[in-house]
Amino acid sequence: MAAAKQSATTKTVSPDDVASALAKAILEGDIVNFRLLFAPFSPARRDSSQSFAMPKYAYLLPDDEMRRDTAFQRILELVKRPETMRHIQGELDANRPAQLPSELILPLADQAVRLEKTSSAAQAYEILRIRARMQEEFLAQADAALDAGNLARGVRGYLIAAGLAYDYAAFPEPLPAVPDYQTRALMLHGVYPERPEDCPGVRATAPFLSMALSYLLDPALAARLEHRSTEIRLAFLAEWVRRRDPAWNDFTRRFREAAAFARSFGARLERRMAESLGLAEEIEEQLGEDPRQIPALLLGRTVDPGEWWQYLKEIACEHPAGALFLARQAVGDCEILVPRYIADSEPARALGLVET
Amino acid sequence: MGRYNTLMMDDGYVNYFQILKIAPDAKPGEVRNAYKQLMKDLVMEIARVEITGERRDRYLLEMAKLNASFYILRENDTREAYWAARTELIALEEAWRNAVESGEANVDAARRAYDAKLRHFLSRYVEEAMLEAGRDKGCVEASNWDAAHERHASRILRHYRQSLYQRILERLPYWEVTPPRIDWDERKRVVAAILAGETC
Repeated sequence: MAAAKQSATTKTVSPDDVASALAKAILEGDIVNFRLLFAPFSPARRDSSQSFAMPKYAYLLPDDEMRRDTAFQRILELVKRPETMRHIQGELDANRPAQLPSELILPLADQAVRLEKTSSAAQAYEILRIRARMQEEFLAQADAALDAGNLARGVRGYLIAAGLAYDYAAFPEPLPAVPDYQTRALMLHGVYPERPEDCPGVRATAPFLSMALSYLLDPALAARLEHRSTEIRLAFLAEWVRRRDPAWNDFTRRFREAAAFARSFGARLERRMAESLGLAEEIEEQLGEDPRQIPALLLGRTVDPGEWWQYLKEIACEHPAGALFLARQAVGDCEILVPRYIADSEPARALGLVET
Repeated sequence: MGRYNTLMMDDGYVNYFQILKIAPDAKPGEVRNAYKQLMKDLVMEIARVEITGERRDRYLLEMAKLNASFYILRENDTREAYWAARTELIALEEAWRNAVESGEANVDAARRAYDAKLRHFLSRYVEEAMLEAGRDKGCVEASNWDAAHERHASRILRHYRQSLYQRILERLPYWEVTPPRIDWDERKRVVAAILAGETC
């Protein structure tokens, strides 16, 4: 024990390693690693038993390729400014919680935004107490871009702003807000649709867009778009979905297949619902197929035991916008998820859910 | 200045006298009358408007604040304990600020003392008191507060507590980081560059 303490107190830490590790954290927009370097057990501290030479901390240091990167070298210069290094060393030597250098956290936060690591960026801006104002600045410039007809820039601004949101109701401490489409989708489909217009995808375009943007963004952010024309909001929705969900085209392909499959059961489904009889059994008998395959087709895999809400949560997590074009459907004594939309609706066409 | 001085710089430290719109030396009967009148107004307002998600959260918070005001201020001992904790907190904030300004060596100890007290105050007098008040017979009668309200209110009260903490934090000296020098013209340029897709 005494030997370990002795070895810890006599350890030497290379300032180059400290600077390189900090520069790497900044370049990667990684607030967690950045804070770790100032933690009591940090390998950057002379009085810590941990060391950069330990294999478990190899990830903190840049590799040769990163060291050759001009962006890394520029950041390293910033870290190595004499006054900054003096402050860093002073904080690492002090026996108290470190005061982080704000001149390094700001570029880290900006870099995190560039890399779309918005949770990291939100934490960094929050420490600097500028998160809300930065979020507003992204929104203001995104609105200006939309005014100027630059859709891609506008959507990017809204995506970043949504990512910078903070959840002050998180337990036990506030945290960056994370998209919880699994929960939001359940709320969207919480009540069984009694009429066609109760299904989100069957609503007229304007109310559909209000509801869809509120679900996908956040009610407060969606409200900023409310005054815009239906055309712009529709284009915004399509652009948002494509940016947010790179695998959206895979979903649209499966959605079309599932919709075709569901149509083949349409008339029978209505009759059986009216008679409250077991549709699945009858179809199995007559066609050898089961409508309960529809949710599995939509998701691209099966989920056990196959409750509608399980499929909904999985689909909402992988393809948030997909939940907007689905509905619950009673089939005999169980419920399934089925595609439900208006074939010639503008949103369905804009999102590629129907053949154009 | 009376015994319950409310003129200090106290933004964020919930002031139940202000919530009930009564003077700091109001008698228990005045506390009760003010509470009943404000709760009646609130209940009538809730009955008048269409309830949206946002309104429901706001009304629940308003109701919880009124309940807690009545619950704490109607008895002299709870009122005095609350006000003493609040006054001590304000004094600790001032002591920390002074320690920072004069560069004293014990600045971190002053900060920690203040922060611990602040967290305790907000937990006790925002979250806990509001939930306890919801189980109080007098409050339940006037507000019809029930288990469903409490379930829903826990998230709202946590959010309210943290919002108050953030509001207070905004005006406090920086301690977790060095004071940042933010040039908002430069910030605007950075945002524009990021939206244009420029890399580091």
